[in-house]
Amino acid sequence: MKRNPLTLMIGALLVLIFVLLLFTFQVRQTEVAVVTTFEDPSRYITNSGLKWKWPRPIQKVYKFDKRIQNFEEDKFEEVLTKDKLNLLVRVYVGWTISDPKVFFNSFPRGTVAEAEPALEGLIRSSKNAVVGQHPFSHFISTDENQLKFVEIESEMLKAVQPTALSKYGISIQFLGIKKLGLPESVTQKVFDRMQAERQREVERLKAQGEAEAMNIRSAADRERNGILAKAEAAATAIRGQADAEAAKSFAVFRDDPDLAVFLLKLSALEQTLKERSTLILDERTPPFDLLNQPVINSKPGSTSK
Amino acid sequence: MSDRHDHPDHDPEPDHGPGQTAVTPGSGPVGSPQPAATPAAPAAVEDAGSQALAEALRSSFAIVKIIMGILVIVFVGSGVFTVPSQKKAIILRFGKPVGVGDEQLLGPGLHWSFPSPIDEVVYIPIGEIQTVTSTVGWYGTTPEAEAAGSEPEPGMSLNPATEGYTLSADGNIFHARATLRYRISQPLQYELNFVNASNMVQSALDNALLKASAHSTVDQALLDAAGFQEKVLVRVRELVDQLGLGISVEQGEVRTIPPRQVKLAFQNVLTAELERRKAVNDAQAYSNRVFSTSLGESNSVVNAGQTARTRLLEEVAAEARYFADQLPHYRANPKLFLTRLQTETLHRVLTNTQDKIFLPARSDGKPRELRLQLSREPQKPAAPPMPSP
Repeated sequence: MKRNPLTLMIGALLVLIFVLLLFTFQVRQTEVAVVTTFEDPSRYITNSGLKWKWPRPIQKVYKFDKRIQNFEEDKFEEVLTKDKLNLLVRVYVGWTISDPKVFFNSFPRGTVAEAEPALEGLIRSSKNAVVGQHPFSHFISTDENQLKFVEIESEMLKAVQPTALSKYGISIQFLGIKKLGLPESVTQKVFDRMQAERQREVERLKAQGEAEAMNIRSAADRERNGILAKAEAAATAIRGQADAEAAKSFAVFRDDPDLAVFLLKLSALEQTLKERSTLILDERTPPFDLLNQPVINSKPGSTSK
Repeated sequence: MSDRHDHPDHDPEPDHGPGQTAVTPGSGPVGSPQPAATPAAPAAVEDAGSQALAEALRSSFAIVKIIMGILVIVFVGSGVFTVPSQKKAIILRFGKPVGVGDEQLLGPGLHWSFPSPIDEVVYIPIGEIQTVTSTVGWYGTTPEAEAAGSEPEPGMSLNPATEGYTLSADGNIFHARATLRYRISQPLQYELNFVNASNMVQSALDNALLKASAHSTVDQALLDAAGFQEKVLVRVRELVDQLGLGISVEQGEVRTIPPRQVKLAFQNVLTAELERRKAVNDAQAYSNRVFSTSLGESNSVVNAGQTARTRLLEEVAAEARYFADQLPHYRANPKLFLTRLQTETLHRVLTNTQDKIFLPARSDGKPRELRLQLSREPQKPAAPPMPSP
């Protein structure tokens, strides 16, 4: 019997483990638990750790996940707004089991599947109530002050929270709108309107393009005319200057105006009769007077072309 | 077990002891081995049998001991676990996380915890990028159809049960799809506060998409896709912080398209916009061309002026010089000079003239009548003269 102490220790340990398994249970940090004594809920445990209980037939333990559950409505139903328009709204919520006692009384098996239909009913009724208090423009509006999205969400949350807590022991942590829609028949009208709007936009763009192009072109033409007018003015000024300068050179003609006039006439005559001219002359035109008789007194008669 | 084991080990020795003492005195002084041998033979047989049994028990117990040892080792060893590099782990001891704050998180590597009923190891993927996609605003299609590039034929209207879309602030319908990539930044929150945090992220993304749409006109959402995406992401971040999801948004991607039913109308607008730009560009080009040609024209006008000026001045100067040159000759003998000059000029003029007609004066001294027929075509300069009667 020399190994008896070790044997005893091991035996004791086995018994201890057995007893512990029978008389204790664990609650995770993410769980809450309900202990029933002969099927009568007697204890609610919300903090985690190792807990005592009587063995199985006397006390039973039911554990629920107390983390935030995500739930969203299955149906996408029409809701009437304040101004009697139909809107489809689908919301999602995050909920937790905050009062295990009430929760356990409502849903004996404590499953999420059991709680969700009840939750859905609650959410739907509060959703309908809240949407019914708001006009359509609170959901859809170009005016930022009209949009009441966040307000609507928090109103729904406030409407659903007290009932969920008192009736099911469920605390709704948050609520949001997940999807928004219009009845199917309305979408077609929206498409027609969108089409018309786009067409207007097309017309507007066309008109705008034409106007812009015309503005640019006329501005260019105006600029061109301005530039050319300036150039003409400059050229005229240059010519005037030239005339003035030329006048200085004419001063020398004053020495003998008769000769000057005679010379100018001669050069004019020569210039005019340069090409394709026909001259009709009589005998009085010198030097053709020589063809008749040597008389000195004659008049020229000429035609051009 | 060990108690039983002790017994067979001990029992043979006392049995052996008396057997030997009984034989020794009998065999010595009495000298009667016969009666003594007869009872000794069955005892020896019995002894060998129990000895074999003991042997068997001992060896089988050795095996049991080894198995026990292995079981203990396995039991203790089952507490050893490794954390992969993309994950972190939390040990729950009797349901409570071990450690405080960030110490709760075990990094990658080898770790040890108490075996199963005592400790529980929860793994949290932290390094991996998670992806959620919001399709509440996308038309009804399947990933397979999309991969194949074919999409269901759009109907005249949108059935809300199958087709998703979002509504813009100006009451228009458009499709939007958002993909969000995120990393778990606070694993304790992510794992211990939410049953399914990724669903929550998905809902938050849907909500953000909806709100961003409600705050945008259809033009903003479709034409300024980057701006719209930013709006969505800002709202997602807000929501994530508000809910304490414990994630950090790495990247987001939002795609918006007009409803397929009015796609053509939207394309027309784009075309119109392109045409508008083209018209403006053309006008701009015209403007540039006109400007540069008008500069050229302006230069040529000014140059013509300059040229005219130069020519005029040259001519006048030449004439003046000529006059100055001729003046002394003229003064010397005016009549002769003039006649000479006149004659020279006439000579040149008459030489250059194509047709020359000479009409002698009538002998009776009366004026002659001359008729000219000028043709419109100036080919024939003059009609032949008609002799007057």
